[in-house]
Amino acid sequence: MIGNNYFLTNLILLMAGTICIRGSFIAFSGKMTISPDIRKLFTYIPAAILPALIVPATFFYQGRVEWLNGKERFLILTAACIACYFIRNTLFVISFGLVMLYLVTNF
Amino acid sequence: MNHFRLGFRSVLPIISGIIPFGAVMGSAFSEAKLSFFQAMLMNMTVYAGASQLAAVDLMKLNAAVFVVVITGLIINLRFLLYSAAMSTYLKDASPLIKFLCAFSLTDQSYAAMSGNQEKFKTNEEATQFYLGTAACMTLTWHLSVMAGFIFGNFAPSSLALDFAIPLSFVALLVPTIRDRTHLTVALFSAGLSLLFYSLPLKTGLMVTALLSIAIAWVLIKKARKV
Repeated sequence: MIGNNYFLTNLILLMAGTICIRGSFIAFSGKMTISPDIRKLFTYIPAAILPALIVPATFFYQGRVEWLNGKERFLILTAACIACYFIRNTLFVISFGLVMLYLVTNF
Repeated sequence: MNHFRLGFRSVLPIISGIIPFGAVMGSAFSEAKLSFFQAMLMNMTVYAGASQLAAVDLMKLNAAVFVVVITGLIINLRFLLYSAAMSTYLKDASPLIKFLCAFSLTDQSYAAMSGNQEKFKTNEEATQFYLGTAACMTLTWHLSVMAGFIFGNFAPSSLALDFAIPLSFVALLVPTIRDRTHLTVALFSAGLSLLFYSLPLKTGLMVTALLSIAIAWVLIKKARKV
């Protein structure tokens, strides 16, 4: 059971810290000059962060398909990346991945 | 078309990846025996799924406050990079718009905006588009967490709908890969994330992100010299 005071202390600190992080640069926007190189660097942020969120989550997931060594999610994710490169459609990519996973795990 | 609506529509296809995550979050709140009010209060004030999940897990174990808070904040440190990137669009925005944009920063909203950059002629259009993505994300997230809290994790396990979460990130990531250097950074980040996965307090994510940004910087400088 999580005590109310304990919960509220954690909540307030987490909320305050998170809004400080999110608002840090935004609060000073307009007051600082950003060079073109830094602006270009910002376009790399999704490429730097998103793989770090999705790759470990699928690579270290222990699946149940023996012939794929339990790595079916990682392999299907890789296939979905390739499919997404050619067919830039979000719904297609999500459906493709889910259907592939269903087929591989159930048949 | 109105850029707010365009932004809202741009993230509609990825809500299939948000709903299962929200359901997991909602059921985690419920399993931790938090009241509905506590759950929604945390959800609406922190609004950061991964760090909320980690914080609730640690609170269930009665971990020290600083451990809970530091873990949650380290997971959220990546928003610092998004905040820096968003600041370029918000130079002339009002304090209220700045606050709304900061409060609603998520991986999905920022990635959706980054992937559609060429559609904006002004910062105002970019901000409207961003607020549209944020509105769709916020609405979906809160409703799915609420549903998860009330009904438990309603997604049938045989459908493995949780896999829609990484798939939706793939759909957001690929359009932002514009050339070989973006691809190099993405592959570098993928490799490093496996290497640093077991770092304590989930610091691997931030270490990977910073090193990948450093590589991107080197590549930008190298390209300029050529």
